[in-house]
Amino acid sequence: MTRTAQRLNRILSMLPWVIANPGAAVDEVCDRFGYSRRDLIADLDLVFVCGLPGYGPGDLMVAYVEDDEVIVDMADYFASPLRLTPAEGLGLLAAGLALISSGQAPPALERAVEKLSAALTPEGGEVLAVDVSGEPELVGMLRTAAAGGRVVEIVYSSLGKGETKARSVEPWSVASALGNWYLSAYCRTAEGERIFRVDRIRRAEVTDEAFIPPEDPPPVEVRYLPGEDDVRATIHLTNRARWVAEYYPIEVVEDLESGLVIRFSASDVAVIARLLLRLGSEAALVEGPGVAEALADLRSRILSRYASA
Amino acid sequence: MKNVLERLLNLLACLLTANRPVSADEIRYTVAGYEGKTDDAFHRMFERDKELLREMGIPISLQPTDIWEIEFGYVLPPEEYQLADPGLTDEERTALWLAAQIVRLGGQPQGPEAILKLGGIPFSGGGEPLAAELGLGSTDLSTAFQAVADRSSLGFVYRERGRSIHPYGLVHQRGHWYVVGKESGEEVKAFRIDRTSNMAIGSEPGTFERPVGFKAAEALPRAPWEAGEGDVRAEVQFDSDVAWWAERQLPPNAGREHHDDGSITARLDVANEDAFIGWLLAFEEKAEVLAPAELRARLMQRVEGAG
Repeated sequence: MTRTAQRLNRILSMLPWVIANPGAAVDEVCDRFGYSRRDLIADLDLVFVCGLPGYGPGDLMVAYVEDDEVIVDMADYFASPLRLTPAEGLGLLAAGLALISSGQAPPALERAVEKLSAALTPEGGEVLAVDVSGEPELVGMLRTAAAGGRVVEIVYSSLGKGETKARSVEPWSVASALGNWYLSAYCRTAEGERIFRVDRIRRAEVTDEAFIPPEDPPPVEVRYLPGEDDVRATIHLTNRARWVAEYYPIEVVEDLESGLVIRFSASDVAVIARLLLRLGSEAALVEGPGVAEALADLRSRILSRYASA
Repeated sequence: MKNVLERLLNLLACLLTANRPVSADEIRYTVAGYEGKTDDAFHRMFERDKELLREMGIPISLQPTDIWEIEFGYVLPPEEYQLADPGLTDEERTALWLAAQIVRLGGQPQGPEAILKLGGIPFSGGGEPLAAELGLGSTDLSTAFQAVADRSSLGFVYRERGRSIHPYGLVHQRGHWYVVGKESGEEVKAFRIDRTSNMAIGSEPGTFERPVGFKAAEALPRAPWEAGEGDVRAEVQFDSDVAWWAERQLPPNAGREHHDDGSITARLDVANEDAFIGWLLAFEEKAEVLAPAELRARLMQRVEGAG
């Protein structure tokens, strides 16, 4: 929104409130609408010279400060607050619902969302649903530890190898992206920055040990950046499996009529093998060192389990 | 900026009190701020003003001034200008403001414009950022929301086919936004918004009635394998070292039996067998379908590469 629009928005928000609350103190109007005293008076001066065609004394609005009270008169056509744009209504409701679903909402927020929702969709129904839940308890605990600068002992199962390991971490922040919660932290065990998926944290315990959080911790970057030790494979996807390109950090090598050729990077060959198994005939391995062996091994492990039963 | 603001306030005052369409000429010669301009300069200025107001959510539209539709004028119907005031208390407004600051939309906290319209807040404050990235930046999403709120039809292309739906609601789940609605003659479905294109809202508000008691939250399945036509009751064994991970993902209505060795047996309803098998394979050989035999066979076939 341009600065002009922002300023007009504030004027058209302030006027109805002052009209509905005659005798409001300058300080209160300033607090409520984020004005400095000078800016408020500048806006009132501006209103004072506007009004209806003719623009005589009886046509102009009245707006000024007297005895530290804000006076507005002859401006009844601006007595109603402005309608919210769809984006604004959605933004407020979605933010409220997200907080409610995360289990951190005060009762006032639940009431506010209910009222706002009823005003925006008067004919009823619950038209909006936002679910960012996951592991509310763990998320809350990690966030508190991050805010208080407490070292946390976690037991973490990595997605790639599936190995479970105890780690000692300095939690920086917790964020939700692509439907999962992530913890960004300094891992003392690995001696480096790490991103952990919260639902893969099996257990977590906050210790008494304090650490000094970085002034400006890096944002939680969920996008997967291939590292030097990563395994790469080239895979041909049929058109039905194109969705893979939207769910995984991949590189499109070739976009064909028959499908997509992608380059897939992962920290462990097991991740690629699992994906290929899951896709079945929708994907074919073009090349990738060790991937065919890993896939064969995975196949035989699963089949032998089923065979022995 | 001062001149622009004065002109806009005069224009709004004029349109809000006119109770009739006001022609461009009348605006040009009677509303203070537009006087003394050439034709071109006036039209450019007026277009810019309308655009700025539209961006703020103030729609100025053209209507015929007479029944013969020879002349047209501008109107600003009060019901399209005014807020349907939800009557929030200061405490509720503050809670909403904090939520809007805490939940990031495309990395940015929301501006104060909406909360000012709702009556401002008695104090400002920060919050511990929740940093839930809701991806609210897309204009398609606001368009869909507007269609939901106004009960207008919504058109878009999805899976290479043009659709026109009655949008009942919006759902954010597992990181994606879905619009839930019904094409004529079809079941209620969910469409992922980032997979739609050419989205356009119908011009007629109030085109449809939402089903009584509609709840957007219930319109999407809890687990991917619950979306489908099938009806299979599956029994699955999860070994002790993956049991915790499985349990976190099981829908609330799944039956679970905990064994002494830490493993669990889960019983759940499967509507989409392929999606279910796909999910189970992530557990590698640490999970096993115990029943029914057909599902077991299907999984083995899939692993063998036969289907």
